[in-house]
Amino acid sequence: MADKTNVPQGADAAGDATAAEGAAAPEPQGTKGAKKAKEPMSVSRRSLLIGVGSTAALLGLGAMRYAGHTPLNRPPGGQDEAHLVSACIRCERCYEACPRRVIVPAKIEDGLLGMRSPMLDFEAEYCDFCQEENGGVPKCVEACPTEALVLPAGASATSTIIGRAVIDTSTCLAYRDTGCRECYDACPYEAIQLTDVSINPHPYVVEDKCNGCGACEFSCVSMKAGSLATTGATRRAIIVQPVGTY
Amino acid sequence: MAAETKKVAQDLSAKLRTQKLRTAIAAIVFVVMAAGLILGVSTGTMSGFGWESISALCPLGAVATMLATKTMVPRAVISLVIMALLILVVGRAFCAWLCPSMLITRIQEFLRTPKKRRELAAETHDKMVDIAKYEITQAKESAGVKANGLSAKALGATYAAGAGDSAATVAAAATSASPANPINAASAASASAAVATASLSAQDKKALSGCGAGSCTAGCASCASAKQPHKKLDSRHYVLGGALLSTAIFGFPVFCLVCPVGLTFATVLVVWRLFAAGDMTIAVILVPALLIIELVFLRKWCTRFCPLSALMNLVSRFSKTFVPVIDDTKCLETSQGVPCSRCAQVCESDINIRHIAYGERTLADCSRCRNCADVCPTHAISFLVFAGAKAKSGARDGIPAPEAQPATVMLDEDALEVPSA
Ligand code: SF4
Ligand code: SF4
Ligand code: SF4
Ligand code: SF4
Ligand code: SF4
Repeated sequence: MADKTNVPQGADAAGDATAAEGAAAPEPQGTKGAKKAKEPMSVSRRSLLIGVGSTAALLGLGAMRYAGHTPLNRPPGGQDEAHLVSACIRCERCYEACPRRVIVPAKIEDGLLGMRSPMLDFEAEYCDFCQEENGGVPKCVEACPTEALVLPAGASATSTIIGRAVIDTSTCLAYRDTGCRECYDACPYEAIQLTDVSINPHPYVVEDKCNGCGACEFSCVSMKAGSLATTGATRRAIIVQPVGTY
Repeated sequence: MAAETKKVAQDLSAKLRTQKLRTAIAAIVFVVMAAGLILGVSTGTMSGFGWESISALCPLGAVATMLATKTMVPRAVISLVIMALLILVVGRAFCAWLCPSMLITRIQEFLRTPKKRRELAAETHDKMVDIAKYEITQAKESAGVKANGLSAKALGATYAAGAGDSAATVAAAATSASPANPINAASAASASAAVATASLSAQDKKALSGCGAGSCTAGCASCASAKQPHKKLDSRHYVLGGALLSTAIFGFPVFCLVCPVGLTFATVLVVWRLFAAGDMTIAVILVPALLIIELVFLRKWCTRFCPLSALMNLVSRFSKTFVPVIDDTKCLETSQGVPCSRCAQVCESDINIRHIAYGERTLADCSRCRNCADVCPTHAISFLVFAGAKAKSGARDGIPAPEAQPATVMLDEDALEVPSA
């Protein structure tokens, strides 16, 4: 069943296959032994094969847990990565619920384990904790039926840390004295301050105030500016790093 | 032979009225949910559907998420209770009326060449009719044994019933240019030889069991051994066990990653994101590929693999409502001894509703697809709101000895076939 997906973990899956046999076999073998005389072997053997094969495949797939995945920015309430991965059934309700469409299903390239689990794509939008649309109560958390996304009572935008913004000074336009201050203007929490080193101020992130909403990354124009093609940047100059990666 | 089987195949698929309705309902629901996914309307997918903060979870997802996090999730528990009640009332109806896998199966059927369709239909037709013939022979034998010595008249009646059928079939074959089933005609022809002696000769048995017509090469023993063991747990339950075991060990809903229902929606999502957001990912190929592997290459996914089906089965086995029940006084086989078994040929859940012992699954897995009721030429199958006792008698292995019927009834049956030919 999951043969394809097992490929990267071939060795693991094979190891698990034997474990699976031990785990899944007792039941079918018990019944087989008891009714051997009565029924055609083929049916029991087929059931056994299907059971053992599928269990092995599913255990191999389960072992993906150890393969992990790239750290991702999660919607509010999804910062306990282990809990999110455990509880999320990939129903995409949060994806649908987000009024700003900042939630996207994670790609397989970020790791099989996280595939289709919710992540925030700050290049598309940023998360305002549903301030505008739902009075500051995250709709994604409301919609999640499994409590994969869950916030403590009384959680607010400032108390919920999704991640933290960092500026790559080698690609930031402001650091090239272009006078850009898009992120500074965008940040709703005054987490970006400007230095007055020159006539063209440089932005920097006040870590205590940043909650990782992504407004800065969303507004950053560094990738749009053609002159940046020379730096070989693949991401915007300011990005939000997921909780646990800093 | 090819022309004949073609007729049978066409007859049956053309009669599946409810199947068209079901397919339409499932398609509409799927399109609405897929549109919700694309437009960001909160309809959910079938893994967790609902509106805003109200949602019903897939029962397997509910179990898996709680097992993985080892916590009670109120909405998951409520969903489980609601689902259990629904399944208790309508069994595995989800499978026939909503599951997107069903739509994929429809597409797969649609893509088959007419030749392949004919072959498959002929194969199931021959198999089911052989079983019916074998069972009729058995029933007559046991009826004969019972009647023997008790009442010569009753004995005569039983044999006359067999002879009557044969004569009727011969008559039908003579009047109709293309009889429903060449085997019927052939066996009837040889069976008619037995009419004169009115005794249950070896030849009669052979003819009735279809072996004489050459459709059965393995002999009667193959029919007797075609009975399926019906255990409390089958291969699907082992898959379910494996899925839950892996979930418990590794602490995440493992099966959700490869669930065909989820993968169908994932396909919509990856394809949509490919076009809308330019999100190129190998999942665009991998997700549909996995779906095809599961539903096409793993033969009989729904009957043999699907852990959702296994989970539903745990509850649906207690369902006594809306279960198909055969009215034995109308059924061609029980009332006239005609090996019809059309119901068994079309069942989407691999149930032989006429001869439960021969189906891979029992009525516990009935998906209320109504295929059997739709193809029954005498409308003998109905879905009673409550079918406690009757469901049991319908599920019984043996059939009552056929009663003598006027030959015209048999002709009617054939007349039913002619217009659609
Ligand atoms: S809090 Fe609101 S805006 Fe932020 S991710 Fe959740 S649904 Fe989207
Ligand atoms: S709503 Fe919850 S369970 Fe569903 S995909 Fe989002 S995080 Fe996962
Ligand atoms: S928006 Fe981007 S380029 Fe502009 S100052 Fe902020 S980080 Fe630098
Ligand atoms: S058995 Fe599984 S895949 Fe098949 S129709 Fe039912 S739920 Fe869908
Ligand atoms: S027994 Fe009849 S209604 Fe039930 S699944 Fe089979 S064909 Fe459908």
